[in-house]
Amino acid sequence: MPSERVLIIGGGPAGIEAARSLADLGIPLTIIESGERLGGMPITAHYAALTPSFEDAEQAMGRMIAPLLGNPAIDVHLQSTITALRGAAGNFALTVASDGTQAEVEAGAIIVATGFQHFDPGRETQMYGYYEFDDVITLADSERLLKEHRFVRPSDGRPPERVAFIQCVGSRDRQIGNEFCSKVCCGVASKQAIEIRQQLPDSKVFIFYIDMRMYGYWENQIYWPAQEKYKVNFIRGIVAEVLKKGDRLVIRGEDTTLGRPMEIVVDVLVLSVGMEPSKGTREIAKLLGLPQNKYGFIETQGAPLATVVTAVPGIFAAGSCTGPADLEDCVSMGAAAALKATALLRKKAPAGGG
Amino acid sequence: MPIEKEKLLSVEPARIHEHEHLVLEGSDISGHWNRMFEQRVLWDYTPDLLGKITALEGGESLGWCYQCGKCVGVCPVDVVGDYGPRKIFRKVQSGTDLFTSDDLWLCTTCMNCLRVCPKEVDMVKIMPAVREQAMLEGNVPAELQDAFEKTAKYGNPLGEPARKRADWTRDAGVEVPIVAKTGKPVDLLWWVECYPAYHPRGKEAARALARTLVALGVDFGIIGIEEKCVADSQRLAGEKGLFESLAEENIKTLRNYQFRRLMVTDPHAYNAFRNEYPRYGGSYEVVHYTQLLAPLMSKIEWKKELRYKVTFHDPCYLGRHNGEYEAPRAILKAIPGLELVEMFRCRQNGYCCGGGGGGMWLDGFNTQHLRERLSERRVREAVEVGAEVLAVCCPFEVSRFEDAVKSTGNEGKLLVRDIVELMDEARRAA
Repeated sequence: MPSERVLIIGGGPAGIEAARSLADLGIPLTIIESGERLGGMPITAHYAALTPSFEDAEQAMGRMIAPLLGNPAIDVHLQSTITALRGAAGNFALTVASDGTQAEVEAGAIIVATGFQHFDPGRETQMYGYYEFDDVITLADSERLLKEHRFVRPSDGRPPERVAFIQCVGSRDRQIGNEFCSKVCCGVASKQAIEIRQQLPDSKVFIFYIDMRMYGYWENQIYWPAQEKYKVNFIRGIVAEVLKKGDRLVIRGEDTTLGRPMEIVVDVLVLSVGMEPSKGTREIAKLLGLPQNKYGFIETQGAPLATVVTAVPGIFAAGSCTGPADLEDCVSMGAAAALKATALLRKKAPAGGG
Repeated sequence: MPIEKEKLLSVEPARIHEHEHLVLEGSDISGHWNRMFEQRVLWDYTPDLLGKITALEGGESLGWCYQCGKCVGVCPVDVVGDYGPRKIFRKVQSGTDLFTSDDLWLCTTCMNCLRVCPKEVDMVKIMPAVREQAMLEGNVPAELQDAFEKTAKYGNPLGEPARKRADWTRDAGVEVPIVAKTGKPVDLLWWVECYPAYHPRGKEAARALARTLVALGVDFGIIGIEEKCVADSQRLAGEKGLFESLAEENIKTLRNYQFRRLMVTDPHAYNAFRNEYPRYGGSYEVVHYTQLLAPLMSKIEWKKELRYKVTFHDPCYLGRHNGEYEAPRAILKAIPGLELVEMFRCRQNGYCCGGGGGGMWLDGFNTQHLRERLSERRVREAVEVGAEVLAVCCPFEVSRFEDAVKSTGNEGKLLVRDIVELMDEARRAA
């Protein structure tokens, strides 16, 4: 007998929206989340405010999660992982490992929403001195500092006078192997630059970029205010050299619009790291037999006119496990996956058909 | 950059503005020499000149540049001049003929741009490919041409007689076996290369290395007068034909001798033997002398503490090109009393001495295009970190840096020593 249940793997923005949509449609569902809480990267990585809305990440995600809690049709397994899959569309049986115990869950359809991880600048490459100098941090490190309202130099705990961002770290790079644009970093860096200027009005903030990629409304929601209202300096030209001189950092690059060398002293350097498939995404793709693209993201079928269909019937994928995605992408895909899964269940077991 | 007369004449007189008093971007630069031009308007971007380069084998990747500018930030030449890989792409796109441009000869093939390039634009392949064409058309700076000719005629770029190639061994104080004479197989065949064989300072390092090998009981020998320049730098400067004929000759010579490993003094030779000679039928187990010596440090009986503050200059062709950063440092750290301090630009981001890719033979040419020599900039950095000794392990560097110590007024403040000279000093009684 076909199962009426949908199983969602991953409790981040895409998975949560899939769950909310299914609940609205009256479909019973199970969420498998490997972490301790629902909410995904905005929660686990301690984001300060969401991009581009500037809404507090805890509050926003809390509001999103609230309808799921206490709903008897929704079964949430935290700190749990999938270890085996049997069956086919309509009749999947999955083994869920949780705290040393194993349980079987039946589902008619599966939605994978296992997300991304932040690019690691690398210990070996010495490219930007992330592992050499305390005051070189990533966008994710910076979110946490901003959330705590304590944006300081990690080396001495003092507020920085000058902060610089370097864009496209780990993205658009053939040598590193991530040839894609990570979509969100230009917006997130500009958002953080605004937050830094709000928290430290005396600070000077610089963003070094190849080109600012501000899709749609991000242009006037984040980029223009950062430049016009918050006096952030946007400079075209990527810094490639970071040297420690005294207790400050000297970054060297080229101002490509003027064609002139620049050497700028900064107190904190933020690397705008891009997206890579999360460990969970890589593992679940293998376990469920979902084809991955050359970067390790789950490959969807039928783009651009389909967004959540995978090569395996009955398994849908949503959010940043399929490639770089902003929150809007993730949430849209979560809802689309819920709809596709529901349609599949209805075909397998037509409503009222006995 | 000096303004050449021909270029001046090509500007319409009406477009030349002379200012007796001029403040530019806040700086008063008044003087009769200030000639300001209306900028040349770009009226077209032609793919033709770029296409000429990307059609060359090795030149393809110039067309991939997306203008991020990372390379310019780490280009050692840009630090002392106005040259950078990104700018080359843009200039070619907007009408510069690189085949006849002076920019063609400024790259030292140090590879720092490729290290950071997200699009893998490979100047280490582009420059030699374009230079080879320029050379075939007769557009080579005279002093570089002179080095090519000497290499072809004498087997070394210094123009020294081939029969004197092993003369340095006489004053080594130890017997240096020459395999042609002993006729015996050796464990280690030492490829001495030109500067250690002929240059006064190179010879001193070669002798120190010979003494060290004997003291360690290494079974080694040198080839002697049959050895000829490996010519990797000539290849990178555009003389591929010369490189190929010398490679074939050297491989033929090596076939006459029995040895297990090939040891080189010169990182440029290390690069050629590892990465180029196999293509011509010469495959060897190659070690740089620092790689041979580093694991043997515990066997050395030190007789003297060297109470120097020493900084180490990574050779581009040992470090970035071939990934060896630790062996030279392991030796320096083993020398008793010695304090190792790092310069700001070190290891993967090591600054170039200016000698690679033909730079060794372009000092006069480069002086016309750069504010100071790369070696001078490097010496300033060594002084800035408080070093008393600048340690090197590439035969180009001792002479380059010693000249730079003098020209930057740091004589008496900074000594330049090959690593093996420091070892030799600490190993021998005071």
